[in-house]
Amino acid sequence: MRISRSNVSTEINKTGSWRFVRPGYDEKTAPCSNACPVGQDIARIEMLMGQGMFPAAWETILRENPFPAVCGRVCFHPCERVCNRGEMDSAVGIHHLERFVGDLAIERAYALPHPFYGDEAETDRRATGGKTVAIGGAGPAGLAAAYFLARLGHTCDIYEADSEPGGVLRWGIPWYRLPEDVLKAEISRIVDMGVKIYCQKPITRDFMARAREQYDAVFLGCGYGRSLPLWIPGEEKVLNGLAYLHDIRGGDNTCTGGRAAVIGGGNTAIDVARSLTRLGVEPILVYRRRRQDMPAFDHEVEMALAEGVQLMPLVAPVRIDGGDGGMVLTLQRMRTTRMETAGGRCRVEPDGDRTETLMVDQVYSAIGAEPGENWLFPPEHQPGQLRMSHCILWEHPDARLPVVFGGDLTTPVKSVTDAVASGKQAAMALDTRFRHGGKAIPERLGACRVGDGTALSMEIYLSGRRKTRNPAIVPFSALNTDYFAPAERQAPPVLSPETRCGSFEEVEGAYGRDAAVQEASRCFNCGICNDCDNCRLFCPEVAIYIDGTRCINLDYCKGCGICVVECPRNAMTLEEEAS
Amino acid sequence: MIHSPLPQTDYMASGHVGCPGCGATVAMKFALRALGEKTMLVIPACCWAIIAGSHPQTSLKVPVLHTAFATAGAAASGLRAALDMRGDTETTVVAWAGDGGTFDIGFQALSGAVERNEDFIYVCYDNEAYMNTGVQRSSSTPFGTRTTTTPGTNWKHTRKKNIVEAFAAHRIPYAATASIAYPEDMIRKFQRARELKGGSRFLHVYATCPTGWRVPSDQCIKIARLAVKTRAFPLYEVTDGVRYTLNHDAEPPLPVRDYLSVQGRFKHLTDDDYGEIQAMVDEDWELLKRKVALAPEEARA
Ligand SMILES: Cc1ncc(C[n+]2csc(CCOP(=O)(O)OP(=O)(O)O)c2C)c(N)n1
Ligand code: SF4
Ligand SMILES: [Mg+2]
Repeated sequence: MRISRSNVSTEINKTGSWRFVRPGYDEKTAPCSNACPVGQDIARIEMLMGQGMFPAAWETILRENPFPAVCGRVCFHPCERVCNRGEMDSAVGIHHLERFVGDLAIERAYALPHPFYGDEAETDRRATGGKTVAIGGAGPAGLAAAYFLARLGHTCDIYEADSEPGGVLRWGIPWYRLPEDVLKAEISRIVDMGVKIYCQKPITRDFMARAREQYDAVFLGCGYGRSLPLWIPGEEKVLNGLAYLHDIRGGDNTCTGGRAAVIGGGNTAIDVARSLTRLGVEPILVYRRRRQDMPAFDHEVEMALAEGVQLMPLVAPVRIDGGDGGMVLTLQRMRTTRMETAGGRCRVEPDGDRTETLMVDQVYSAIGAEPGENWLFPPEHQPGQLRMSHCILWEHPDARLPVVFGGDLTTPVKSVTDAVASGKQAAMALDTRFRHGGKAIPERLGACRVGDGTALSMEIYLSGRRKTRNPAIVPFSALNTDYFAPAERQAPPVLSPETRCGSFEEVEGAYGRDAAVQEASRCFNCGICNDCDNCRLFCPEVAIYIDGTRCINLDYCKGCGICVVECPRNAMTLEEEAS
Repeated sequence: MIHSPLPQTDYMASGHVGCPGCGATVAMKFALRALGEKTMLVIPACCWAIIAGSHPQTSLKVPVLHTAFATAGAAASGLRAALDMRGDTETTVVAWAGDGGTFDIGFQALSGAVERNEDFIYVCYDNEAYMNTGVQRSSSTPFGTRTTTTPGTNWKHTRKKNIVEAFAAHRIPYAATASIAYPEDMIRKFQRARELKGGSRFLHVYATCPTGWRVPSDQCIKIARLAVKTRAFPLYEVTDGVRYTLNHDAEPPLPVRDYLSVQGRFKHLTDDDYGEIQAMVDEDWELLKRKVALAPEEARA
């Protein structure tokens, strides 16, 4: 019997001509990265963590932030608020994961990798054209500026007024939130890069006048060290909250007992109140708005209340009487109005002349701070100034060199991570200024934006792989959630309120290794390819192949769109064909 | 770069003429990844008779015997016998037919073959109508569907034939459903069927047809997944016609409406119709659960 046989492959049919839409790999920006003040590549970090690749995850953080162990603890993690996973069950524990890998790096003494960004030119860049920069203030902004400038091949000297480096991290944040050895370890990594820190040597106006002789630029990140006055009678009896925290971290933690009023609703007020409970004092937080309007992180407020801190909302101090034997704090009752502040907090006004009194032994003020010296304020509207999101570059007419104002002096949000962001922005701006001139700064830095926010990426600045990332932000609706099953968020151990009150021991514990891997696996990895291979698996045309990376054979792709829809994480896009 | 436990070699070539987003081609791709090179296919008239290539082309890297519409069961029996005569017991014979060719016109030949317990795998890729000739209803077409032969208000008012039950009633060694939205499950079942040599094995594979169902091509897999999640197409296995295993519990199930309302072929259904179909799905599911409960100790091969 004879049967006709086919032996020509259908591959001679170029079915790609049927197509009117074209799929393509198109990595996008995760909402968390967009919200992160330093623009960390969180989707990739969690992908690596989920695969147990901790050193690689840590290196990915270090591209954008020198302080994972610190920020994992003290950052108010705006990333988690916008996490797409929150729309499914609960946000990924991004800050716990950051802290876990930060601690692991300290424990295992991970070294900074070379070349740092997978960028071979780094070594050359370090060898040539390095400049010398003086940095005022060894707080998070100054340290970050030094770290990034050093990575970019420049030499940095940091001048610090206090006896040890760290700024707010060393003196303003209590131990129970940030243990000292963690901070020291992350600072020493920067020192090991060759950055010199001179303590008890503040930058002065005289120094500025002569800076040109030794330096090519100055970064000022001296922070807000001076507390704002209350402007009420009896003010002189008030103790300074910031100074109190400073004393405690200096080792002075004598138990005084009694009752204390703490005026303010920010993180410093909370830190003062929580420190007081640990020293046997009964603190009462006196705040002019409502609890939900407090600028302090909600989580911290909760912790404070659990530790026995009392809250008196909607009262404003009007006078303080009495002396050593006890003080009388007179408080004006406040009431809410329909108006809101720019930040969305409700505006309050005095509720007629209703007042009340509070008997306490001490009064602490923590209503905010300003720079220690007036000249540290960047002057407004001077020619030769470049105002950026987190710092101001000024071609200083007297000092005759570029000066960058950063940290609390210029950041829109006074947070540790925003301070780090300003240090990074300053480093990029100065590096661009040195290499390409000041005019090139807006364009070069603009190209480094993460998503549509203000965060800048050093990896993009150095033309790393992230440069090809689409700034479009992945919304929850773009994910294929068929691939994600609900999973509970891992909770780290926390000391009980009773144990907390007696000591300055760290309150929040860390994830174990398994919990970290599990939590990282909850991340959707929004917008980035994690090699799940769905596109290649489902393509009905066998048009997707691997040649180093995944490729689409457009000779055959019919544009069905399956690969794009079955990509769980929106790392592909379908576009209309041009013709 | 690939962390997948699935077999990675494809025996299907590009350039075939399946419609964009054709679920039946995805089905073949997975089937051949599981079955491997030592496979011979028997394909009767159906879309796949065309997708496999019109003479002198072929889109498959394994031999294909094209045969007449009603004859897949008989032709596969013959091919098996021929291979046995040549001493080739290694090659797996696989009949690959549409629902029309299986539920309707090929039913007699197949019923006869499996009653003889012929040594082959029979795959019905089910797109729930005669698609290649322009969407005519088959006995696989579900209640509520509009096709070109059940148009307007005359949409199909009878239920889909339960083909796995029909072959379980023949007490064949292995019968199972599979879906292109669950590649791991599907590939495992094809591998298991291949290993259970010596008798008839029947695989009922759900295959979305974007053209005939009037759905966007990119929704091919999503809809297949919805069919499982709504329990409209449960994933299960039956060994020796009596031992049932449920592979995907679909707990809690989505309402069947979620599955129907996204397809053009069901657009005309009213709330009452949805209710009626939901009751059918629930009834079938309960029945299936009862059968599963009868044989909880199903031993995996
Ligand atoms: C005896 C016979 N009658 C009719 C046809 C025409 N015909 C070819 S394919 C087909 C439809 C097949 O339907 P199904 O088996 O469901 O496969 P599908 O096309 O849906 O993949 C028909 C009716 C034929 N080839 N032979
Ligand atoms: S799945 Fe394949 S055919 Fe469909 S759009 Fe993607 S590459 Fe093209
Ligand atoms: Mg059919």
